[in-house]
This record gives sequence, C-alpha cells and structure tokens, in this order.
Amino acid sequence: MRIYSPEGPVGPPSAGLAPHTPVLAGKRIGILDNSKPNAGLLLRRLAESLAARTGATVGLVERKNAALPAPDDLLARLAEAEVVLTGSAD
Amino acid sequence: MADPLEMLDIASEDPEAVRECYAERGWGDGLPLVAPTPERVDAMLAGSRGDPDEPVATLPPRSGVATRRVIAVNAVLAGCRPEHLPVLVAGVRALARPEVNLRGVNATTHPVAPLLIVHGEIARTAGYNAGLGAFGPGNLANASTGRALRLLLLHVAGAVPGSGDASTQGGPAKYAYCVAENLAESPWGGYAASVGVDAPSAVTMHCGEAPHNFHDMESSEPAAILDKAASAMASLGSNNAPVSGAEFFVMMCPEHATACAAAGWTRSHVASYLHERARLRAGDLRAAFALRAWAPWQEALPDEAPMALTEHPGNIKVVVVGGPGKHSSVIPSWGMTRSATVPVEPPAPGGNRR
Repeated sequence: MRIYSPEGPVGPPSAGLAPHTPVLAGKRIGILDNSKPNAGLLLRRLAESLAARTGATVGLVERKNAALPAPDDLLARLAEAEVVLTGSAD
Repeated sequence: MADPLEMLDIASEDPEAVRECYAERGWGDGLPLVAPTPERVDAMLAGSRGDPDEPVATLPPRSGVATRRVIAVNAVLAGCRPEHLPVLVAGVRALARPEVNLRGVNATTHPVAPLLIVHGEIARTAGYNAGLGAFGPGNLANASTGRALRLLLLHVAGAVPGSGDASTQGGPAKYAYCVAENLAESPWGGYAASVGVDAPSAVTMHCGEAPHNFHDMESSEPAAILDKAASAMASLGSNNAPVSGAEFFVMMCPEHATACAAAGWTRSHVASYLHERARLRAGDLRAAFALRAWAPWQEALPDEAPMALTEHPGNIKVVVVGGPGKHSSVIPSWGMTRSATVPVEPPAPGGNRR
C-alpha cells in the first residue's frame, strides 16, 4: 500500500549566500553582532585576526536582537562590506 | 500550484509500522501514527474548502509549503477528523503571521510551544473541549488538533529537535497544545471579538510556556484572586522579565472569571490590575539580566521602583477556559513573539459535520 510523505515541498529560499570572496586584501569586514553573550567580543577578535592576516579592514559593526530578523536598513548598511561575520548561539 | 507530494510504499497500515517507516526518515513525534493513505487524506480534505494544492503558508526554518493536502496528511497522522481541518488551516495561517515570529519560536533554546486556542461556533460543532480538563487529556479534537499542529511544525517547518528546534529541555506542550475558549461561561463575551476578529469561529496562536497554575478557593474578591495570578506572573525566571513587550495569557476558570465580573470588573480591568500587581523590583530585574529588551523609560526606573513584568496592560490577555473548580493558569510568553487571532473559514458544505 502507499502512504503520503508528510513534509510537502520546499519553497524558494528567502535569501542565498553571496559568492565566496577569494582575496580579502583591501576588502572591508563587517560584523553583525546578534547580541548573544560574548558574540560581539568573539566576532571582533575574529575580524581583527582575519584583517591582520589578509590586509582587510574591520568596519561596519552592527547589532541586532538574536530573536528577530535583521531590519532592512541595517542589512543595507552592512551590504557595503564585502564580507560579514555573524552567528553566535547561547 | 505546489509540487505533488511524495508517496511511500509500506507493507502494513498498522500505526506502529507507520511510526517505524517515518522514524527511519526522521519524521514523527515518537508515537504510533495513523497511515495517511490517499483515501484517508481525500476524506480529510472533504472538511475544507478550496484547492487542496493551494499553498496556505510557508513555514520556517525549512521554508516548507503547507498546502491543504499537506495539512490534511498531518491531520490524518494525528488522528483528526475532517471537521478539525478548518481549525488546523487557520492555525497554520496564524503561525505564518509575521508578528508570531515562527523562525525564532522554532529556533530558540526556550521550551516555547505554540498554543492554539479555538474560539466560537466551531469549538462546539467540531467537539473541542472548553470545559473540565480542557488542556487535557481525554478529548479527541483538542488532542488530535494539537498533535497535528506539532507534526506540521516537525515535518513542514522543520522544527526537529537538534536541527530546527534547539529547545534545551523541550516540553510536554510540544506534543499537543490546543484548547477551546469557554464562550458559554465567559462573562465577558468572546476573546476573538475583543481583539477585533468578528467571525463565527476563530483561532488564536500564542507562543508560550506550559500553563502555570494558580488557585484561589477562599475568595470572591477579584483582588484576592488576581493577586495569586500576579504572583505566578512575577517570576524572575520567565522570558517576560527581560522582554518587556511580551504578552501573558491568563486563562481564567469560569468561577474566577464570574467572581471578577460579578464585582463589576471587565476584561480590561483584570488586565490593568495584573499589570499593576505583577511587579518586581527594577534593580533585581536589572541585576538578573545583562541582556534586556526593555522600553527606554523602564531602563530609567530607579532600582527600588516596582517594575511591571510587561510594559503595557494590553499585553495581558484574558481568556475563559475550564470547568467547575477554582484553578486558573498563567501562560508566559517566549518573549519575541506576539499572539495572532485569525478567522476560521466556513466549513465545507455538508462535508465536515459529525
């Protein structure tokens, strides 16, 4: 006998990842701090270390609430950076 | 139009066989499942109007498309009857409302579960329990609709523990969380109409914790009853403490509600009193939470000021639920979510009456 799968189709993704940036020299690294404990500290140290190794610069630090989507105006500001570091959980 | 649903071959429609077949694919809620055969799903769809393959909503984080057919499949799995399907369709619409913030609700480490509250005519005609033991167990409509909603969250939304659901401890409300409003014994009329949804039937989705009981056997005075509710609300451990815009649902039993109404208190009076009484010292709240989502004026309160556990009385929602006795409950919020009340579409003509 046959039964249905319960999942249903997957819709189009709401956003995709940007293409990989092969060379960071001269590029700007942005930070999206989601306000989780130590996220800002971790991401800044990571960005600084990455910048020191590659010749990129660190700028554009933005902060958002972890539980809510990032507002459009904040994402528009971050779009000026070629690379954005984000993501931290509890 | 959505893509046709995948079909699986299975040797037996025994509920344990379906459970095993699904579990191998990471599906199910751990319990035996009713086989969603095309015949059963078609019979379920007779309870709902509209194109079976029309998308009702897209649910995060999986971006799963919930068509009426997908909703019907999960309703069959959970043991629903066709008359429950319109409630589930409305529930899915409510889940997808942006203010509910389902992506956050599913992703968090908090034990939040969406509570589906059924209002109005369909609660009566489709057999939902609003009276004694309304939160369960023992009623097919409440149990199966609540379970189907969770199955939709697991299968369509992808809220699977460990991937789409990071809840640290999980919670019993994540199995089935559906209740009906006791409209017949509400001294204040229906909840849905009080928030501007004027329809014969509606559902409210509130993403919160399991109910926190409070009892008062002693008093017919609203203040004495509600002081106990306020004590359940003023918890340093709830997410309402660091998130001041969060809602509380206060589920009042008919006897408590009637005592308040007999003294001339409206729903709004109850909310205002609870806002005034459910408070903790601002300094204690500040010391407890480094990360706070408070209004600026709350941040400015001196340490000794008693601070309300929610910013505004309008965030305290009052619904009458339950039967004889003097036990009511408070349902704190996850925090970064707002409840949504949406109408239930009229039943299919002749297709879903028992």
